[in-house]
Amino acid sequence: MRNALAIARKELSIYFTTPWAWVVFTAMAVLSSFFFIQNLGQFAQVQEMAKAMTWGRVMQMYPQAEAFKNLTDGVLVPLVNVLLVIMLFMAPFLSMRLFAEEKKQRTMELLLTTPVRTSEVVIGKYLGGLGVVTATLLVTMIYPVILAIFGASESGTALEWSTVLLGYGALWLFGATCIGIGMLMSSLTESQMLAAVLTFAVLLPWLFLQSVGMRAEEPYRSAINYISFSTQLENMMKGVLDLKAIVFFATIIIFALFATHRAVESQRWT
Amino acid sequence: MPMIEVQNLTKSYHDRVAVEGISFTVQEGEILGFLGPNGAGKSTTMKMLTGFLPPSAGTAKIAGFDVFEKPLESKRRIGYLPEMPPLYLEMTVRGYLAFVARIKGVTSAKLKNEVERVAAATAITDQLPRLIAQLSKGYRQRVGLAQALLNDPALLILDEPTEGLDPRQRRDILELIKGLAGKHTVVLSTHILADVKATCQSALIIHRGKIRVHDSIDNLTQGGQKSLEDVFLEATSDEVESAVAAASAA
Repeated sequence: MRNALAIARKELSIYFTTPWAWVVFTAMAVLSSFFFIQNLGQFAQVQEMAKAMTWGRVMQMYPQAEAFKNLTDGVLVPLVNVLLVIMLFMAPFLSMRLFAEEKKQRTMELLLTTPVRTSEVVIGKYLGGLGVVTATLLVTMIYPVILAIFGASESGTALEWSTVLLGYGALWLFGATCIGIGMLMSSLTESQMLAAVLTFAVLLPWLFLQSVGMRAEEPYRSAINYISFSTQLENMMKGVLDLKAIVFFATIIIFALFATHRAVESQRWT
Repeated sequence: MPMIEVQNLTKSYHDRVAVEGISFTVQEGEILGFLGPNGAGKSTTMKMLTGFLPPSAGTAKIAGFDVFEKPLESKRRIGYLPEMPPLYLEMTVRGYLAFVARIKGVTSAKLKNEVERVAAATAITDQLPRLIAQLSKGYRQRVGLAQALLNDPALLILDEPTEGLDPRQRRDILELIKGLAGKHTVVLSTHILADVKATCQSALIIHRGKIRVHDSIDNLTQGGQKSLEDVFLEATSDEVESAVAAASAA
């Protein structure tokens, strides 16, 4: 475990001493603030409307206005939904270098000739990637904090923290899965670009499998829905703790770690 | 017990055999020059000794530990400098050496001293705060060597350690390697025969995946009567013959 932590530390130091992490943080901050401001504007508009003509009439006109009664459902839950998609685009850039770079730079030879187990290399690298994804998410925690400080709504307390944290928990679970799959792709190639494209090609359809499922017949529909990321995340993003989803994503991550281990080991034999 | 014990070691790829059933032993404290033309199988053999490449057949033991059966035990005893120094260009020299020391099992308490010790031994102390990407080729080579020396391994496997160094740096590194004799075992591959003569007690010449010569330098040069260059050319001569044969066939 000590070796794995040393490798995780090395990965993090490389992320943070090169532009990598900072570029991703900036992109995350710029994109998410754009959507945050948009959500906030919409929220203010509905609130103004309600003030002018009471909630009853607003909801008669727009039944979906219910969500805009409080900041959590009106601003943050939609923001978490957008962050999920942004995460899908950011994670491949963070995971692509994990193994591809080592192979290209011939530093794999160092890792595999020191007294370190391959499993420790894989776990260490995964933890490094997980660390930088967590940091990326922390950047976006500024929005709930802003709302908690300045926000006020009809329901009294501005934010329902349990919902917010479960939403971020869902994002983190998804980010952790993206890094796992990204690391596996990175272990299959020397090209970082190819690793990123492959990761993206796996993650994007998987996230939106639900729309495929809708057109399928039973029992395929249920099966496809079950393995779709978006279905699994649905509850948590609404603020309902879902152990099934945690088990689902943990299984994918463990599979990805295991497959990466096999890929690294098998490449020595060719 | 010999430090290295190689028996019938073979590495074959699907279309060719890189190393063909070689056997040799290296005693503790010996400095062995590992010679051979390009593509003879030197690097492949070294990669198998360090546990990076699994052999297709045969065994290699480091200090009695089979590199394949007991990889952690054997790797713990080896310092390895590959042909291309395995460096993280984005790291500082100090950060890099500290990382390698950690994965080699140097404890946190000893880490700083150990990094400074190897930096002093390879004369890179003043380079410690610099980024590896900014270093010249000679310095990078020395950082690679410093990395191999971390945690004071009993066996050093150095693949062309003097490559890319200027004459003065080369002399310094060779002096350093010579200073390791007795306590450490060193396997050193190089194309520069003068280096072998200056540092090694014995030489092993490998050609087309097979051992041609393995003897002490004194015996090979017949007490200095023959030059090492002649010995090398003789041992690898079928290259000339086959070239002549190919030319006459054409």
